[in-house]
Amino acid sequence: MIKTLRVAHLYPRDLNVYGDLGNVITLAKRLEWRGFRAEILPVEPGHFFDFSSVDLVFGGGGQNSAQAVNADDLLARGDELRKISADGVPMLLICGSYQLFGREFVDADGRRYPGLGIFRSSTTAGRHRMIGNIVVDSPFGQLVGFENHSGRTVLEEGQQALGTVRQGFGNNGGTGDEGAVVGNTIGTYLHGPALPKNPGLADHLLLCALHRRYGIEELEPLDDDLALRAATVAAARPQGRQTSLRPRRRRLHHLATALRRH
Amino acid sequence: MRETAAIALARTVATLSRRLGRGGRTLPGVIVGKIAPNLPRKLAGQLPGGCILVTGTNGKTTTTKLLVAALRRSGESVLTNDSGANLRSGVVSALLSAADLRGRIRATVGVFEVDEASLRLVAPELRPRHIVVLNLFRDQLDRYGEVDTTAALLAEGIAATDARLYLNADDARVASLAAAASGPDRVSYFGVEQLPDRLTDARSAVDSDRCPSCGERLRFDRIFYSHLGHYSCPNGDFDRPRPDVTVTDVVHADLDGTEFTVSAGGVRRQVRCGLSGTYNLYNALAAVSVAAGLGVDPAVTAEAVRTTEAAFGRVEKTEVQGRTLWLLLIKNPAGFAQVLDTFLIGRTQPQVMIAVNDLPADGRDVSWLWDVPLEALSASRPEVVTAGTRAAEMALRLHYAGTEAAVASSVDDGISRLLEGLPPGGDGYILPTYTAMLQVRRALRGRQEAA
Repeated sequence: MIKTLRVAHLYPRDLNVYGDLGNVITLAKRLEWRGFRAEILPVEPGHFFDFSSVDLVFGGGGQNSAQAVNADDLLARGDELRKISADGVPMLLICGSYQLFGREFVDADGRRYPGLGIFRSSTTAGRHRMIGNIVVDSPFGQLVGFENHSGRTVLEEGQQALGTVRQGFGNNGGTGDEGAVVGNTIGTYLHGPALPKNPGLADHLLLCALHRRYGIEELEPLDDDLALRAATVAAARPQGRQTSLRPRRRRLHHLATALRRH
Repeated sequence: MRETAAIALARTVATLSRRLGRGGRTLPGVIVGKIAPNLPRKLAGQLPGGCILVTGTNGKTTTTKLLVAALRRSGESVLTNDSGANLRSGVVSALLSAADLRGRIRATVGVFEVDEASLRLVAPELRPRHIVVLNLFRDQLDRYGEVDTTAALLAEGIAATDARLYLNADDARVASLAAAASGPDRVSYFGVEQLPDRLTDARSAVDSDRCPSCGERLRFDRIFYSHLGHYSCPNGDFDRPRPDVTVTDVVHADLDGTEFTVSAGGVRRQVRCGLSGTYNLYNALAAVSVAAGLGVDPAVTAEAVRTTEAAFGRVEKTEVQGRTLWLLLIKNPAGFAQVLDTFLIGRTQPQVMIAVNDLPADGRDVSWLWDVPLEALSASRPEVVTAGTRAAEMALRLHYAGTEAAVASSVDDGISRLLEGLPPGGDGYILPTYTAMLQVRRALRGRQEAA
């Protein structure tokens, strides 16, 4: 009997804006290479889903429109998700999902959307988009990725960050912190494929899950030379820039609304 | 006076820039924008046939090329930006290159490919009579933001004109741009009715599968590739429009091209296109659709489509040291997936070089590589070498997809390794991002000259 982990993938069709699938591929392959198996279970809006037997949760980023569609559905599952997070089920939430797992999200027009409140954080849509390669020092090693967000996330007193920004913007481009960690639940702005180039973080999530389910204490090491090379290259590529979107955005918003009405 | 000076200066700059090996395709446009901002409008206004703009994520260059060929065959003198410089400065430079010092243009019609984000700048100046929108895929999110944003940018450009629109009926978000047209009678749609099963993508729709009107998930009866297909909104808020020009039957498709039946206004015509792949079928259909709208003789259009070769780097065949190298540009997940489906999957041990750069023209963000369905490739047991600034990332992606690639130290090194593995007469496939393609071409030219 192959030892299997059940991985819930939050809204894979909507929150998959750029390379998010890379994380699911990485989790599944790193299990497979060690003789385990991953069962990927999509969570779709409005569909019944039982989180009680889930071993790991992943949620990606989405377009603003998709995020709004899924925010209500996610809130409806709030009690279940808060419970399993408190029980130590490892979770990785990226960009849009990360924002929705905080206390609230305030959009460009000042509308407030409540979040799950697992992270003691709040996010406001900013006037600049923070874009570029990012390097973060974290307990899971140096994390390397790409960020692309206008949301500025502020952590409350006592909320632990995922790491410290070495290059790039992170949570808000000001405080120097990036992401958030509560128990085994991790949120980050390293968008898209955060795990392939950061195998230490991937293995941390997998070991948490394997330990909870099967009492496994240690993971067989894998040859991560290629991942390290890719990460080293990415860390040396040009870093972030801020792009102002505000004036155009407002006009675009009106146009998009007008189009939708037709 | 100011304009004569602007044209003279722009010409000098273009010549110098070309001599310096910089191409000279955008700088003149930048200069004129500064000193004679009204000049582009005046120049475009002289074209008796007006301007046609081609935009969308994938296929702009090829569709433009096909359309230009059809118009030239029917006797028009066409002005175009065929070098792929498709930002505002590139379009303006193309206009300038055709003007004499008094600001007169001899061409009869302009056909320009225009970047999605630039349409809103170019359209008000050129006041096009026709705008073609091919498709909208995820592409360079670091530059454009979201696909929703790109659609809104296109709508802004369209709303600034009273152009006739030619929209892809099979792409819901593109079809919804009809709302931005100056009138409902100014919209034509093109679409595919039927493809052979093996060309119909069984994978679920990606990128853009929600109703543009109410946001509900669209229902798909057929998917041709990515999210292009036959869809309807379960709430009845947005259905696929009935296309005016359609592909009804594909009788033949292989690496040398596609043969299909186009139906327009009740008339059916067999068309052969020398470019392979479903994506090029759509490009040909778009060109045929616009040519029909312009009143070009369908037989002339069909002949132009049959004889036109691929545009710069898109399905380009080169002979090097007795080997055939196929140059297949990759820019985004949808395009990369089409290249895989058309050229690599199903072939036995294809020899491949994938060159991924992350310069601004390629997109700084290479996350999209993880959205490409490379897993399907491993069954063909390809031999792959990766190159470019992100060679290691590409190799890592392949590793997770079940293919072990060699990492080359440079594009030139990658080409050497590819050629070493190829027997005389063999086929090699080079898949470069935009700037990597420029490097590949330079390197190949060097080898051909050396030989």
